[in-house]
Amino acid sequence: MGFIAPHLPLLDLIFIGTGYALSQAIVFRAGTFSVATSGFAALGAYCVAILVVKQGVHPAVAVGLGTLLGLFSGLLLSMPLARLRGVYQAIASLAFVEILVALILYFEVLTGGPLGFHNIPRLVNTWTLFFAMTATMLLLIVLGQGGIGRAFDAMRQDPTVAASLGVNPTRYHVLSFSLSGAIAGLFGGLDALRNFSLTAEQFGFSILIATLSAVVLGGRRYVFGPLIGTAILVLLPEIFRPLAQYRQAVYGLLLVVVMAYLPFGVYDTIVMKLHNRRLARAGMLPAKAGS
Amino acid sequence: MIAQQVLNGLVLGGVYALFALGFTLIFGIHRIMNMAHGAVFMAGAFIGLFTVRAGLPIWFALPVAMAGAGLISILVEVVAFKPLRKLALADAELASIISSIGAGLIILSIGQYVSKTETMRFPFGTVPVEAIQVLGLRVTMLQLLMLGVAMLMVALLAYYLYRTARGRQIRAVAGNYRAAQLLGVNPNAIFYQTFFLSGALAGAAGVMVGLAFNAVQFLMGEPFLLKAFVAIILGGLGSVPGALIGGLVLGLLQSLSAAYLPALLVDAVIFLFLFVILMVRPDGLFVQSVPESATKRV
Amino acid sequence: MSSLVLKGVGKRFGGLQAVAPFDMEIARGKITGLIGPNGAGKTTVVNLITGVYKLSEGRILFGDVDLTEAPRHEVARAGLARTYQTIRLLPDATVVANVMIGMYRHQRTSLLAQLFGLPSSRAETARFRDEVFRLLDRFGMTRYADYPAGALSYGDQRRVEMMRALALKPEVLLLDEPVAGINDVEAAKLGKIFRSLATDGDGMAVLLIEHNMRFVTNLCDYVYVLDGGQLISQGSAEQVVSDPVVIKAYLGEHEDA
Repeated sequence: MGFIAPHLPLLDLIFIGTGYALSQAIVFRAGTFSVATSGFAALGAYCVAILVVKQGVHPAVAVGLGTLLGLFSGLLLSMPLARLRGVYQAIASLAFVEILVALILYFEVLTGGPLGFHNIPRLVNTWTLFFAMTATMLLLIVLGQGGIGRAFDAMRQDPTVAASLGVNPTRYHVLSFSLSGAIAGLFGGLDALRNFSLTAEQFGFSILIATLSAVVLGGRRYVFGPLIGTAILVLLPEIFRPLAQYRQAVYGLLLVVVMAYLPFGVYDTIVMKLHNRRLARAGMLPAKAGS
Repeated sequence: MIAQQVLNGLVLGGVYALFALGFTLIFGIHRIMNMAHGAVFMAGAFIGLFTVRAGLPIWFALPVAMAGAGLISILVEVVAFKPLRKLALADAELASIISSIGAGLIILSIGQYVSKTETMRFPFGTVPVEAIQVLGLRVTMLQLLMLGVAMLMVALLAYYLYRTARGRQIRAVAGNYRAAQLLGVNPNAIFYQTFFLSGALAGAAGVMVGLAFNAVQFLMGEPFLLKAFVAIILGGLGSVPGALIGGLVLGLLQSLSAAYLPALLVDAVIFLFLFVILMVRPDGLFVQSVPESATKRV
Repeated sequence: MSSLVLKGVGKRFGGLQAVAPFDMEIARGKITGLIGPNGAGKTTVVNLITGVYKLSEGRILFGDVDLTEAPRHEVARAGLARTYQTIRLLPDATVVANVMIGMYRHQRTSLLAQLFGLPSSRAETARFRDEVFRLLDRFGMTRYADYPAGALSYGDQRRVEMMRALALKPEVLLLDEPVAGINDVEAAKLGKIFRSLATDGDGMAVLLIEHNMRFVTNLCDYVYVLDGGQLISQGSAEQVVSDPVVIKAYLGEHEDA
């Protein structure tokens, strides 16, 4: 235990980061290009912070409410975004996040504004985060194997065919956003109870990029991708401690190199290679295959 | 005094237009979002700054900054986008966004190193501080310079793209490399040219902004890029005149909001405007020959 | 046991009349053919039926259900399935996964059950898998179950698409050039399957769009002929094939059959 203790904060970061990355990944799975996760997380976080610190609400209840707030925000945001495609969805969701951050900064009385929201008790420990992350991963694995997962996959890969097979695109679009919002709201709330204080900036563009990178680095198709991606992003800078002042450069280089060689993400690439090898060994892959 | 704010807005808008032009050029031709654009903008500002500090006049420093930013932009292309060109567009899109973010971070880090995280300033008198009176408004030399540079760059770019053979080639390629190759156009040449131009425009914008706000800082790129999306979307992704109009509108919006609203709400207004445009007219004012439109076909 | 009926169905794209208003009935238990030279509007008609395009005029009725305004997914839920001219499979997904999507219409478990993987949802997934393997067996494709669909030959991909459409257990099956690019032996096998789909059990209403005239005459009970968006002839296969108007439409465009 003495070996792990100094590294606990890192684990915290990995577990929360994975939660955010999972929230991001679920909208990708359904074929939407939205980056609203950090916005939903901000809503969850501030909701929990305000309820626990200013209203004395029990933390578990507050986190539950934060999750619900995230869910409803996702549901609401899905509707305007349903009409857009591709990068336009991304930019609209980016606008949503930026508006939210600006409003958080403005309503000082509620949120502490630019000075931040401080003195939040640490009511969440590493085990709670681990449990939350694992539960979310299990949920998404189960979801992926059932009808919802099939519908998401079809919508993502060929929305026309999916619709012509009976998949109601609006229904699943709203579902994916609601799930994404709920997960982000949950982890945002947990994040608030972990770190003693909140600032609006921590939900802005940087975390949006970090979450996006985690998903892309790790892989979008499987539930473990976000975990791997987050772990890489959290741990690598630690490994390169001596170069601490060049952290940004290391981070940037990591993104460039991984994208150049493993554009589908580390975990996805490994899975694909193993899968192909299994098929090839069973004599199932004609010369034509392989991507 | 609303007229003064309008003037400020137009001047700022000119710079936004330059920046947006660079971005939209790449998107229009290659269908890529170059997220390193903000970093290139910042690099241009630094190059301009150091050139002036070395004792050279601003009218020399500006082209140097533009050329430098253009070269850095080509470097970004080679490092971040080229390795992904072989992928199908659907797969490459997200990966290239991340890759360009990475490239931007590397440039950012260099900027952080050379500036030691401090905000640097152009030496006093880089641009003469005189002002003139036009129609009762006070217009500074700097503002005239900014407007002049913006108009000149836009005109030059338009001329290049619409009147020269090279420019026509670039426009003809617009995302279809196979066809371009069959017509004897070298895609690499197109990439280098467009990225150079894009970077040069960003570099010019960077120097202008560095002068206007009297601050050159390694983080200046990101907020600029985010706001510039308003100009890029309003004008229409890939549209040259659109980027110009979009930039001016954005500049006016920012300037007027800053004058009449609490500072913390300016960003909210700008991004709300962006969201509304996307809801109401996502293709922008000047719809280009972009094969996919912003909205789903019903 | 209703048929799919088109009444005065027409489509305009701006100033262009892609399909002039016409009537058509796709009867249960029969195979109806829709033929015509390239560009005649045949795929447009299928797109109108399936809700990809909005009708400019007319109505589409399936029993007492009016499908005129129905969006694509509701058309599918009403029991209409289609195949495409160009193959539209998910190339990276396995054959089983591809066909399973066709089972979507039969999902009965609630979203909540699916979300949490409750036993009802798992049981349903298992049932669907069984169905899929039954289809694979019928088409002789069981050994390809775990292949990525994109790795199969053209003919096999066509069959996967067919299986996906059949997984829907449709009442109306719209086949858009199902044997294009397939040799006669294979085509004949598929033809037998189409015939049994129409006549077995409750019998489907099958619409067959094809260029292969021999295939059409062998298989279709009734044929409609389109040319340039207009209905120029209809009748039994023999009648239509010897109709001078039809012959002119085809020979006027192509020298080869």
